[in-house]
Amino acid sequence: MSLLAEVWEAVRAIGQGMAAVNRRVGESAVTEFYPYQKPEIPPVSVQFLALIQNEDGSDRCVSCLACERACPSQVITIERKRNPAGKGFVLERFDLDFVNCMHCANCVEVCPVSAIVTVGDFEHAVYDVNMLKADKAFLDEIGRRAQVWYSPKFGVEIRKPDGSIEKAPPEMQPGGLAELLAGEEGA
Amino acid sequence: MRGPTQILPTDRADEMLINMGPQHPATHGVLKVVIGLEGERVTRAVPHIGFLHRNHEKIEEARTYPQIITYTDRMDYVSGLQNELPFILAVEDLLGVEVPDRAKYLRVIFFELYRLASHLVWLGTGMLDFGAITPFLYTFRDRERILEIVEKTAGARMLPNYFTFGGVRRDVHPDFFKDVADFLDFFEKRLPDYYALVLDSPVFQARAVGVGVLPKERAIARGASGPVLRASGVAYDVRKAEPYDAYPEIEFEVPVREEGDVYARFWVRFKEMEESIKIIRQAIEKTPKVGPYKGKVPARMKVKGSRYRAVEISRGHLGAHVVGDGTDRPYRIKHRSPSFANLQLIPDLLVGARFADAIAILSSLDPVFGEVDR
Repeated sequence: MSLLAEVWEAVRAIGQGMAAVNRRVGESAVTEFYPYQKPEIPPVSVQFLALIQNEDGSDRCVSCLACERACPSQVITIERKRNPAGKGFVLERFDLDFVNCMHCANCVEVCPVSAIVTVGDFEHAVYDVNMLKADKAFLDEIGRRAQVWYSPKFGVEIRKPDGSIEKAPPEMQPGGLAELLAGEEGA
Repeated sequence: MRGPTQILPTDRADEMLINMGPQHPATHGVLKVVIGLEGERVTRAVPHIGFLHRNHEKIEEARTYPQIITYTDRMDYVSGLQNELPFILAVEDLLGVEVPDRAKYLRVIFFELYRLASHLVWLGTGMLDFGAITPFLYTFRDRERILEIVEKTAGARMLPNYFTFGGVRRDVHPDFFKDVADFLDFFEKRLPDYYALVLDSPVFQARAVGVGVLPKERAIARGASGPVLRASGVAYDVRKAEPYDAYPEIEFEVPVREEGDVYARFWVRFKEMEESIKIIRQAIEKTPKVGPYKGKVPARMKVKGSRYRAVEISRGHLGAHVVGDGTDRPYRIKHRSPSFANLQLIPDLLVGARFADAIAILSSLDPVFGEVDR
């Protein structure tokens, strides 16, 4: 190949690349004003875990130890005692070590009463690693603050302004497609 | 004592030893290659691995079967979801679990979405190694859309822990099929740009054509798999050879190229992205509208026997050998990972090449170190 042809080839190559880049110049840029505008995170997304309490303030958790057994990194520690009034158990201690938590949500998967749930609450970066060792009070507080959460048993649930809890519409459910289709067929 | 991968310092004045990695920006992950240089030519190349070793297989022996799925995700973290499948298939075979049709197709859709995501990461970082920054910015933006679709249903972006024994963990989000179809239309329009920027660009071709040629016999002898093997003219794809899930019902081609150079490996991955689009489109059409997404699985899993299953992940043949002794924990799990085998090709490909080409060759192998070191 002569020198001239090589130079032409190089110019053509650059022009081809520039044309491809130019096609994207007009695209709208996306800038997120993060601390002022929070990103919308689907409730199913495993950002953080929380313990949910019933509307009357009692624990949903029945201390069945299912999450402790299901946890792959074994970060959940539960202590329980017999319920003095009636059957079952009551929680004495529920520790979750977020330092070693893999956010796999296996605990949420196995919970029979949807006590431990995933929330879209992601601003939990701290300076001290010991701050991530959560106890029951901390997890309850996150649960009280959460407006929307997810667990496979009950699906996405919403806390209404008056404090009552109800199930979100199927459009918001991560597994809501079958439900929607069944509703259409029924109607 | 000198370890088997250590390299002797040279007493020749014209040979220089260079440690490339583990912090070199052009080595993917934590690969360290000791390279002997004679001027611009590589005289020897010894890969050192193990910087990311975290005892995967041993940890998994101490966990129950449902817990292990979480760990398998963490092998090839670029295409996280794909790693769950061989282990799940093996355990399903041992337990005799039936997978419903809908779950099979959903698995195929997610599997191929992750292939697209993984190839986009490879394309972006691979072109960074070549010195081109623009494709990186574009591919990561496109990949973001895939991850967002996955997050809506599976709950996480890179390590979703979504497949499970007997199917998938939950039904898909109501918008899922629409989102995926929209993304495919969008991505099909993007692909010509990538062709123009990378594959068809004479600047790229000048650096890739005829560089790092891997002969067919050598690729087979070293146990290469995936795009690296197919670029050397061997039409081996686990999706065709031992079909799993819904792949037997889906029509697609296996792109093969004879040359075996860097350009061929790039070409094969580009064509694979096109095939993935076709596969996802077919799978969306064929997915049963309603139906169970999870088969019946015994509550307490007691697995007995041994089974090896393999799948074709973005990097090649990923296998899992599960040996169960009748308890709820496996006796032994062995993962056969494609990047680890492909990495053996480094001495074959690098010796004799120029140093600048060595980086191009490494990026065309596309190793992911979570899976090499395990």
